[in-house]
Amino acid sequence: MSRILIEMKGICKEFPGVKAVQDGLFSLEEGEIHSLIGENGAGKSTLMKILYGMYVPEEGSIAVKGETYPSLTPKQAIGLGIGMVHQEFMLVREMTVLENIILGFEPRRGGRIDRRAALEKIEYYADTYGLRVHPDKKVEEISVGEAQRVEIIKTLYRGAEILVLDEPTAVLTPQEAEQLFCILRSMKEGGKSIVFISHKLQEVLAISDRITVMRGGKHIATVAGSSTSAPELARLMVGREVFLGGSPVPAAKGDVALSVENIFVPGEKELSKLRGVSFSVRKGEILGIAGVNGNGQSELAEAIAGLRQVQRGRVVLGGAEVQNMPPRRIREHGLSHIPEDRNQRGLDRFSDVKENLAACSVSEPPLSSLGVIRWGKVREFAEGLIRSYDIRPAGADIEASGLSGGNAQKVVVAREVSRKAEVLLASQPTRGVDIGSIETIRNELNRAKEAGAAVVLISSDLEEILSLSDRIAVMFEGRITGEVDSSEADEEKLGLLMTGGGTHV
Amino acid sequence: MYKTSWGSTLMTIILSLALGAGAILLLGYDPIEAYYQLFRGAFVGKFNIGGVMERFVPLMLTALAFAVSAKVAVFNVGVEGELYLGAIAAAWAGYAFTGLHPLVHIPLCFAVAMVASGAWGAIPGVLKAYWKVNEVCVTILMNYVAIYFTSYLVGNPFSARASIPRTPTIEESARLLRILRPSRANIGIFVALGVLVLVWWMLYHTNWGYKLRHVGQNPSFSEYVGIPPKKAMIWGMILSGAIGGLAGAIEVMGIHGHFLDNFSPGIAFDGMLASLIAKNDIRMVPVLSLFLAVLKTGALGMERFTGVPKTLIDTIIAVFILLAAMEGLFAYSRRRSARSSGEEAA
Amino acid sequence: MDGLNEILSLVFNATLVRSTIRAATPILYATLACVLTQQANILNIGIEGIMIFAAFAAVTTSYFAGSWVLGLLAAIITGVVVAAFMAFAHLKAKADIFVVGMGVNMLAIAMTRFLLQRTFGVSGSFHHNDIVPMPRLNFDFGGNALLDTLFNDYSLFEPVGIVLVFVLAFILYKTVWGLRLRSVGLNPLAAETAGINVTFRKFEVMLYSGVLGGIAGAHLSLGYSRMFVENMTNGRGFMGVAAMFFGGANPFWGWIGCLIFGFADSLGSRLQSLGLPSQFILMIPYVVTVVVLTLAMMRKKRAETARKSAI
Repeated sequence: MSRILIEMKGICKEFPGVKAVQDGLFSLEEGEIHSLIGENGAGKSTLMKILYGMYVPEEGSIAVKGETYPSLTPKQAIGLGIGMVHQEFMLVREMTVLENIILGFEPRRGGRIDRRAALEKIEYYADTYGLRVHPDKKVEEISVGEAQRVEIIKTLYRGAEILVLDEPTAVLTPQEAEQLFCILRSMKEGGKSIVFISHKLQEVLAISDRITVMRGGKHIATVAGSSTSAPELARLMVGREVFLGGSPVPAAKGDVALSVENIFVPGEKELSKLRGVSFSVRKGEILGIAGVNGNGQSELAEAIAGLRQVQRGRVVLGGAEVQNMPPRRIREHGLSHIPEDRNQRGLDRFSDVKENLAACSVSEPPLSSLGVIRWGKVREFAEGLIRSYDIRPAGADIEASGLSGGNAQKVVVAREVSRKAEVLLASQPTRGVDIGSIETIRNELNRAKEAGAAVVLISSDLEEILSLSDRIAVMFEGRITGEVDSSEADEEKLGLLMTGGGTHV
Repeated sequence: MYKTSWGSTLMTIILSLALGAGAILLLGYDPIEAYYQLFRGAFVGKFNIGGVMERFVPLMLTALAFAVSAKVAVFNVGVEGELYLGAIAAAWAGYAFTGLHPLVHIPLCFAVAMVASGAWGAIPGVLKAYWKVNEVCVTILMNYVAIYFTSYLVGNPFSARASIPRTPTIEESARLLRILRPSRANIGIFVALGVLVLVWWMLYHTNWGYKLRHVGQNPSFSEYVGIPPKKAMIWGMILSGAIGGLAGAIEVMGIHGHFLDNFSPGIAFDGMLASLIAKNDIRMVPVLSLFLAVLKTGALGMERFTGVPKTLIDTIIAVFILLAAMEGLFAYSRRRSARSSGEEAA
Repeated sequence: MDGLNEILSLVFNATLVRSTIRAATPILYATLACVLTQQANILNIGIEGIMIFAAFAAVTTSYFAGSWVLGLLAAIITGVVVAAFMAFAHLKAKADIFVVGMGVNMLAIAMTRFLLQRTFGVSGSFHHNDIVPMPRLNFDFGGNALLDTLFNDYSLFEPVGIVLVFVLAFILYKTVWGLRLRSVGLNPLAAETAGINVTFRKFEVMLYSGVLGGIAGAHLSLGYSRMFVENMTNGRGFMGVAAMFFGGANPFWGWIGCLIFGFADSLGSRLQSLGLPSQFILMIPYVVTVVVLTLAMMRKKRAETARKSAI
């Protein structure tokens, strides 16, 4: 029986409006590879950030090698031998690999950096665990896979015995992922213990000794890797939750209003670049696009709305090719867009509610004439929308930053849906929104569908997808892995498609 | 961008004046007498009031120019260069065209000035919009280019071959009528105030202004709603440059009657600082510009009647600017920390 | 044709090299001061003000104490004090560094003008035989005119400046302190997670910048000249900032930028003394810097587009 290195019990962490972790439970045995899986918002990243000392939990305890702590600081965590490789690399792009690895822990000869000692140590780790890196290349010149290896060596260099990797394969190609697994296996043989955060079931099954599933901030189950299967994990991950809606509302279907044809779209991360995505949506139907965040959904929405370049392929809206048109013209061709990022894109926090509601229509009559804005008419327009959508507090002159999440989202929805466009693109429309507003917003989407709009619903909330969509497409690593009719869809099937099951590896 | 707390600006003014009083006392003068003469030197008598107006016009216009660029989120430190370009363009149009009626000539000079300096302002705008080049750096550099260029022009092709380096005197039809003689105040003040009101109206009541404001306030939102961010940024800079050029034109046409080499002791920098202290709020720009103009004009009277050197007033102004920059020390940082903890993980 | 040759030989000769270095040196110290802070991502636009304050302190102390060493010391202390104030205003009081810098510049011009009046009873400039200047370095080249022009009769801090360029480059790129400073400017989050105190380092580097600014001012009033003139920096601080941008915050390339400024300045005065317009020459360093900056950003954008591409 290996000794238990880490034991986290009863962890609670709350952020304003959101319970990220409730009664979190996690233990790590020496020399094991333990995967922590769950959907977005399941709490796995947060739990590990608490372990690494980046967050302080409200309740609970962390026991490391026998000593118990209520919370840790990053310095303490490093001192205890815990190293974390984040999803966002903490590397200085303009400095070399060597400089990044030794930063803060430099070997010195007087004031000078002792390059030779540094190289020796790096070569030791590189040879022992198979971590190939080029010490003198700048980080901005190396591949993402190598950058990740640099992050791993960084943690080893600082004396880590326990490594936490947060969604490490999110940025790797399948080949690089295989290389990573070899590295992890040799590290395990070398006596290191590893926590592997992921949502990709095939990988997790391939390398884990034990697997812990989290959902909604809670610990659901811990199972042995060898005795479970992808379908079982998918079910645990995705689960049954309180259904708000039920099933999609029937409506008459018309012609194809939006057709996305084999588009290639750039992205900051390798796996969120779209490579050959195609689908179409008819009038009077809701197409739900499901998938774990970070698989290209944001890029897809931006590409359709003209906010991101489409390098290859076509987007056909209302009969016209609109790819790469300026956003204004795409809107004129019949698109409304509820964006994923409410605070930066959907609203202008420094303006008031009426300016936000009128933003798309302010330059046309009746809200302005001959280039001059008629603020009286703008106020009337805004007040009308505030009434119909029950936006609270009910004031056209309130600054947008003063609204709660739900009401702020209602402003966005009001503005976009009231345009009665042919195609409505809704990206994570109920994220961070209270129950009452969720219902209002979902009703609006259904009403738009009944009125004949073609609705594209992008959501990482599977329950939302199931209760609203007529058809469902699943995105994974920049591609559509499957399309099903809602009558045939269930959590298990979708969970598998969302986590790469049934396709490769 | 945050709701400005004018209370703390007022506190800063009072604090600076108090420090000034302390310094005056230490020098062995009577602060009350000194401030009294300062006040008189600015407000008593046509010459003094005219002096305030004379200083107010270029200060306010250059401050407005900077405020406009700030609205599209560009720091136009190049207003001084635009001031010079506008001035020489107006001076040239003033002497090169003869036989025109003032109602034609004056607008012509203004137009030439504004086109020249507006085009100059477009350059850093384009560089920032397309390639994110640091505009603070570029505009500072371009100031020197503009000033050297005008210096060349006034020394060679546009020279009046007079004892001092200047352009030929402009036609009478291009001069701005003097008011409040014997001061040098002129109807340029009405033009300046008119431009101020026009710009304010344009920013808050027209579509074009709406676009400019939103591009600066929130570029992601603007792009998403359909405002082309690059175009708006560049037009904002053109407008900013044009206003700076207008300031230069009024200096030439109302005060000097010709372009004088190195005529500006950094007017636009004072204007820029006035706008920064006013948090780039268009309504406060004239207030702070007036405040600075009053101090500078009154200082002359104060020195004449009490012997307190006017460099002391310059010092107080600098202290005021430094204090105002730090005014956020209490209010701002409190608000900042409240925001950052509230926005931890949304 | 002969006339042109004559002009060219009048203009381009060994003394031009000498005067380039002489003109470049005050700018160089300003540049190095800005390079240091820029590595921590702080734009020290107040360097002009620091230089003016320091120049005044140097002359005053040298006059009253009869020693250039004490003058230099006074200048350095002045520089550090002003820089400390700026650091406090920016890091603690969250003031915009740009406003603080420009405010300090304004304050320096006004206050030194005022103090000039109060202390020496003159305005415009102050020169006196009792001002002890910095020593000059003299070598005997046995009458060789070329070597004499190029290497003789340097003010102390001119060669020191050149040495300082390489010393600073060494410190920045080869020492632990330099590595940590650079990380603070390039990726403060990475620096924090490596246990480096970002705010402390920024404060520290401002103080060192103040030292260099103090030397710059002292050299200006006791080395380059032997007096104090109102606003004697005359934009040299800003040129330092420009040269820093030209060199991408690298000490060596910043030095090249300073040489370009110094060269343009010297060439400009030559042309002026020959009655030719000098303004286009004087413009060159600024135009070149703008072009260099734009090209650098264009390259960056191209690289980023390639990195994000899906094809």
